[in-house]
Amino acid sequence: MNAAPKRGFLRRLASRAVTLAGVFRHFAHRRRFFLMPLVFVLLLAAVLLAATGGLAYVAPFLYTLF
Amino acid sequence: MAAVLGVSAHYHDAAAALVVDGRIVAAMQEERFSRIKNDPSLPRRAARACLALGGIAAADLDAVVFYENPYAKLERVVVSLAREYPRSFRQFSPALGGQLGSKLWVLDQIADMLGVERRIVRFVEHHESHAACAFLCSPYADAAVLTVDGVGEAATTALWRGEGSALRCLGAIDFPHSLGLLYAAFTAYLGFEVNEGEYKVMGLAAHGQPRFREELARVLRLERDGSFTLEPKYFAHGTDTDVGFSPALETLLGPRRPPGRAFDLEADSDDRRCADVAASLQLATEEALLGLARAARERTGATALCLAGGVALNALANARLAREAGFERVFVPPAAGDAGGALGAALLGARDLGDPRPAALATAALGEPFDAGAAVDLARALGLAALPVPDASEAAAARIAAGKVVALCRGRFEFGPRALGQRSLLADATRAESRERLNRVIKQREPFRPFAPSVTAAAARAFFADAPNDMTPFMTTVCRTAPERAAALPAVVHVDGTARVQTVTAASAPDLEPILAAVGRETGVPVVLNTSLNGAGEPIVAGPVEALAFFLQHPVDALVIGDALIERSAS
Repeated sequence: MNAAPKRGFLRRLASRAVTLAGVFRHFAHRRRFFLMPLVFVLLLAAVLLAATGGLAYVAPFLYTLF
Repeated sequence: MAAVLGVSAHYHDAAAALVVDGRIVAAMQEERFSRIKNDPSLPRRAARACLALGGIAAADLDAVVFYENPYAKLERVVVSLAREYPRSFRQFSPALGGQLGSKLWVLDQIADMLGVERRIVRFVEHHESHAACAFLCSPYADAAVLTVDGVGEAATTALWRGEGSALRCLGAIDFPHSLGLLYAAFTAYLGFEVNEGEYKVMGLAAHGQPRFREELARVLRLERDGSFTLEPKYFAHGTDTDVGFSPALETLLGPRRPPGRAFDLEADSDDRRCADVAASLQLATEEALLGLARAARERTGATALCLAGGVALNALANARLAREAGFERVFVPPAAGDAGGALGAALLGARDLGDPRPAALATAALGEPFDAGAAVDLARALGLAALPVPDASEAAAARIAAGKVVALCRGRFEFGPRALGQRSLLADATRAESRERLNRVIKQREPFRPFAPSVTAAAARAFFADAPNDMTPFMTTVCRTAPERAAALPAVVHVDGTARVQTVTAASAPDLEPILAAVGRETGVPVVLNTSLNGAGEPIVAGPVEALAFFLQHPVDALVIGDALIERSAS
């Protein structure tokens, strides 16, 4: 297999939109609906979190929760 | 007819597996390529190697299946953090950062990694991946399936009914009640590395007495219906991700063991206490699994049981299930943990596209092969005397029978955590010094840790009471050694009289079987000590580069690589 071809910005954006739609569908379920505002606020906050550099922290038990 | 790639990643043991027209073509862990033990990163090189082996371009894939649901995982993280707040305050940033910054987008990352359309990348549930890996690789048409691990999306334990190609979930136990997290927390308490030291806890358990049984009953409560609950006050999964247990556990059992301190089970009373804690934990885990398995037997009426999930790597518990749970047959796949989830996901994807169920898994040699000629050229370039031998198996057997330690690197490497005769260190099982030399000098492991035997399937019954069975080809269970034989196999029989046996046929381990046959001809005992070909803290060797590096760095006597022999004395 050759190296994967570089995907264009628009295709990558469309790909992320598919995932966002998946998040919406998952949390739109009536049992999870109350979590939706929190999740979408957190999604916005993710941009800020990604900029903090704190993502490198990995503890052995982190996978148990996250 | 379809080509499906399964992927596991982002937690531990990332792997890729390729299934074409319902046939398992390849399955590999990323750690073999990256040389990072339990590497969780996207399995870029493993996926590439699987596709190359199948002669398939990524663009020709019909589906790519991730082994768990990233949205349900996000939900559990959010709910757990909210439930534990404010004690979970310190975990908020790393947890949500990890989820929202990376893990939530894993399907996009996979599409980018392979350069395929996002629409063909999908997911299945974590425990369904485990169940598929166990059941669809098993020789059973009808079975109860138990999946038991740390945690998937929310479930930590699930019961399934497998019929034909179908899997139906009959029930689940959710986080935080988890046998995997219980064992992991105690692994940390005993001073071992989580996700790596669980085998050491199992080995240590045989040296102790379960005198903390009552204390463990407070930590792990077994219910009448076969389920279990953990007492939350002893754990800190949401608040202390370094160890996972709370100070209450130390109040109950005594202080934790400092990591890295050398063990002295004879002279140090605290080490003996730790061995007793390990024995109590092992007993509690086995009894919890027995409860689950007996309930599964009663509920499904099936006569066969399949097990998967990280807890299914507990070979001691698997042996008890086979003896006491009421099933006629038990199967545990070679990669029962998260790496196996990649294979399970691929099999589910293939099934959903209409492909037939694969034949029962006959061998774990699903990894990348290597060019034997190029390996010899490389050895010679390194100044090693690599001599082609007419029969490499006979040459290896002669040296093993003479008490030498032989490294073996032939064929495709294994899928899963066990060396099963493709990337192995082999030694004479009848000499106690083989174990000492391997433990203390070559692998530099704790002296209490046992080594496993490999034996021809035909001769297995003469040496080991419960062998062969459906698990022994993959070393996922232990067997009791025949009492009259135990003294003859001091290097591979543990202090409790058991051994984690691999039974070998030409189909299951084609490179090991002729060696065992030749050792049998020379010594009358077709058994060898078989341990993984890797240095301390390293993943098992993938190809000739790592095998030759191992030979140069460790005092083994010979290396069989392809059809060539390299001897220490000659080099």
